Amino acid sequence: MFVISFLVRRLAQGALIIFLVTLLIFTLLRIVPGDPVRLMAGGMAPEALIEQIAEEMGLRDPVLVQFGRYMSGVVRGDLGQSFVRPASGASTGGSSFGDATRGERADVLTLIGETLPMTLQLAFLAIVFAMVFSFLVGIPAGLSPGRWPDRVAFYVSSIFISLPGFWLGIVLALLLSVKLGWLPAIGYKGFAYTILPAIVLAVELSPVLIRTLTGSISSAMTMPFIAVGRVRGLSQRRIIFAHALRNASVPLLNLLGIQISGLLGGVLVIEFIFDYPGLGLLTINAVLQRDFPLIQGIAIVTSAIFVLINIAVDLIATLIDPRLEY
Amino acid sequence: MNSSPVLSVRNLSVDVGTGAGARPVLSDVSFDLAPREIVGIIGASGSGKTVLARALVNWIDPPLRIASGSVEYKSQNILDLAGGRMRLLRREIAYVGANPMGALDPTLPVGRQIVEKLSAVVPGIDPSEARKRVIDLLGAVRIPSPRLRFDEYPSQFSGGMMQRALIVDALVSNPAFLVADNVTQPLDVTVAAQVLRLMRELTERFDTAVVFVSSSLPTVKEAADQVLVLSEGRIVERNTPQRLIDAPQHPYTLQLISQIPKIWTSEAAAVPRTPNAARPTISIRDATRTYRVRKRGTFAAHSEVRAVRNVTFDVMPGENFGVVGESGCGKSTLMRLLSRLEFPDSGSVICNGEDLSKLRGKTLLKFRRDFQLVLQDPFNSLPPRTSIGAILEDPLRVHGMRNAKEIRERVLTVMAEVELPANLYDELPLGLSAGQRQRVNVARAMVLEPKVLIMDETLSSLDQTEQFRLLALFEKLQVQHGLTYVFISHDLAMVRRVCNRVAVMYLGEVVEIAHNERLFFDPGHPYTKALLSAVPTLEERRYKPEDCLLEGEPPSPIDLPPGCSFASRCPHAFDRCRAESPTLTARNHGELAACFLVEGPGARAAA
Ligand SMILES: Nc1ncnc2c1ncn2[C@@H]1O[C@H](COP(=O)(O)OP(=O)(O)OP(=O)(O)O)[C@@H](O)[C@H]1O
Ligand code: SF4
Ligand SMILES: [Mg+2]
Repeated sequence: MFVISFLVRRLAQGALIIFLVTLLIFTLLRIVPGDPVRLMAGGMAPEALIEQIAEEMGLRDPVLVQFGRYMSGVVRGDLGQSFVRPASGASTGGSSFGDATRGERADVLTLIGETLPMTLQLAFLAIVFAMVFSFLVGIPAGLSPGRWPDRVAFYVSSIFISLPGFWLGIVLALLLSVKLGWLPAIGYKGFAYTILPAIVLAVELSPVLIRTLTGSISSAMTMPFIAVGRVRGLSQRRIIFAHALRNASVPLLNLLGIQISGLLGGVLVIEFIFDYPGLGLLTINAVLQRDFPLIQGIAIVTSAIFVLINIAVDLIATLIDPRLEY
Repeated sequence: MNSSPVLSVRNLSVDVGTGAGARPVLSDVSFDLAPREIVGIIGASGSGKTVLARALVNWIDPPLRIASGSVEYKSQNILDLAGGRMRLLRREIAYVGANPMGALDPTLPVGRQIVEKLSAVVPGIDPSEARKRVIDLLGAVRIPSPRLRFDEYPSQFSGGMMQRALIVDALVSNPAFLVADNVTQPLDVTVAAQVLRLMRELTERFDTAVVFVSSSLPTVKEAADQVLVLSEGRIVERNTPQRLIDAPQHPYTLQLISQIPKIWTSEAAAVPRTPNAARPTISIRDATRTYRVRKRGTFAAHSEVRAVRNVTFDVMPGENFGVVGESGCGKSTLMRLLSRLEFPDSGSVICNGEDLSKLRGKTLLKFRRDFQLVLQDPFNSLPPRTSIGAILEDPLRVHGMRNAKEIRERVLTVMAEVELPANLYDELPLGLSAGQRQRVNVARAMVLEPKVLIMDETLSSLDQTEQFRLLALFEKLQVQHGLTYVFISHDLAMVRRVCNRVAVMYLGEVVEIAHNERLFFDPGHPYTKALLSAVPTLEERRYKPEDCLLEGEPPSPIDLPPGCSFASRCPHAFDRCRAESPTLTARNHGELAACFLVEGPGARAAA
């Protein structure tokens, strides 16, 4: 019962958030300089033609009218068509203006559907790497504050936090891929291509996870029920794994919710460096080409993902610690 | 008691710190615990009771260190046992502490954690049998609907209920002995009395010997066969409770006994009746305060917590007015209404003829000077990094005093008045004892020369000796400055010593208002009797717990049923009580009680 009411309440809030994000991005895209029609039609196209195309596409209507039209598509599951990409693949646009009819342009939903799974795969693997590593380093550190495992964790996270992602990406690609030939790096031809970018992202994620885990475990270990647990006859292992970790995991989960949302920035850079065909690469290209519908669609999908992740995190947190209520 | 002892403590000494900085906490403690015996240990705060209790269960962590001696159980010194072997003994050695709310993992159901402990100390026990056993015992300690409670979380238990659950946790493995450190201290008197009674019953039923540690001699007297008096880490006296009280030998024991407040004997302080005055200083009229809290697991539904309901009374100038009741009865909400931190939803609070909610500008400022609060907690209410002088100067500056020299003089005068040495002016509060901190709090209130001091559990966290000194100080200040005090407290013995008139609250309502003597000698409301029957005292009780003290705890103030709020626990409840609520009815001499059984002169009190 609690779970259902929680989900309904949070999903309604989430829908509102997504709506507001969409409105914001939609408006901003109409305000920023750079006419997409000019880009589509090419620099040489006469002014009158550009006006005509813009008129046809409804780009000269008031912003709110355009937004209404767009949203009515969105609720029917239609995110519109890309301005620039043909359905076949490579992007059009540039200097020559073929009169590419609308039907040939790619569906935004299809474009996202092709790239999103790739990015999810990358993000998931990065989180798994980051979690495993953070637990291995963070738990011993949290259990012995001030002693060597704690110092190791401190140094490791300090070093990781000061490594720029793009630099690490290039160095690892040169080392592991070019020099040693252990892992493939550029492009995507199979699962192995995900490993290297995931490692780079994991290095970016783990410092904060390690610090949080260390801190929350060492503070959980000072809670009275830990000491009392020993006197009650619980074994050290049970105390650590059944109680201390359980209590330490709530702050970690909350952090993870925020971190995953922040992961997107990292994904953009990493996908670009490794030429990894994910949502990040798609976003960069869409922005460079002023592909409004595509940018818009990506914004909706990513904000929906953030909303869902945060709902999931809060739900798991309330299931772990019943005192919490969101 | 001629069988061999369960536990022998021999020449036990414990130090804190190591090397040159080491200081003894326990010195040369020796005693035996016979099977089925209850040994009480009593001593002032800081005398080493908790350290001793922990040593008995081999729970001494740095900076504490066993300096010498042994704790023998089954002819082995358990202090020498390594972790693993000690853990096997936990089945036979149980411990319950003074912090019930912190003792279990807040994220797991209570019942499951007790089962977890049982299977840890009795490996191989069948889980469903363990579960059954825990539910049986939860029922045996009179936790209502134990099957449901088994799956509830620690935060859903009240302090008293949690303490019972921990007693179950301790006894579930049938231990040979149990160490109970101040188990009743955090509980309300009526609940503490229940828990005490329960412990005695259970230890008999399970054949468990008990070491019962407490800072309250009356409590120990109820529980123990033998009492050891601990002072500065040494056992200074041992005897049966009755002989200890009748003929104390050691000066410390003498002092301890002399400080236990008297309630009904002739030595009890005679508190004068309230002086007659034309106009009350504070009068609270039919005030109600309701909080809305969202119901868990619903969208928009709210529950109403009726924290204060239709409260009406007057406080006269120069009076000591007491408000008593158990935790959660609305005392602190009432304090917030009286001090204008919150406003009542309906009704009003009137001070010197003016409604508090209408005060503005100058009159508001004057009210803020005249009414000062002194709060409960001496440890968290002082900013740790501000010097004491600066803490006391602050209110003066807020109220517009500018001349630095005058401010300093005023602060020093107040410090002298509350008997704080002047050299503390530049010190931080860190090094102060609880009593000194509370004096700083009083000084902070006194520095503006108020007319009324509202004391919310101000003395609760202090030990007897300190309480005594502060009460003497309050008396002196009252004579010097003509102060009016409102004491909000759960401590009836303290209220008996100082308050002219007392209001008894239950579930947000005032159920009785009476002069001191009348309240203690001829209470009108069954709840007042229950409270009086549970006060820890060395005297012959006027009200027998068997007749007055009922099981259970106050119901939650959320969504109250109709009728008398005490009906669920009242020994005299009859049909009418469950349908109608009684209003405050005048007995004679302007004393009021809200119970259908009160036969007043017929007149109903004006609300
Ligand atoms: N972990 C500790 N570290 C340092 N000093 C300690 C520690 N535990 C206790 N002490 C010191 O040992 C002395 C005895 O403390 P203890 O807690 O046993 O007192 P107590 O009799 O239980 O007091 P109370 O009635 O307030 O519970 C005190 O001086 C205290 O400061
Ligand atoms: S009114 Fe009834 S239930 Fe209430 S206190 Fe009196 S006798 Fe008890
Ligand atoms: Mg103690």
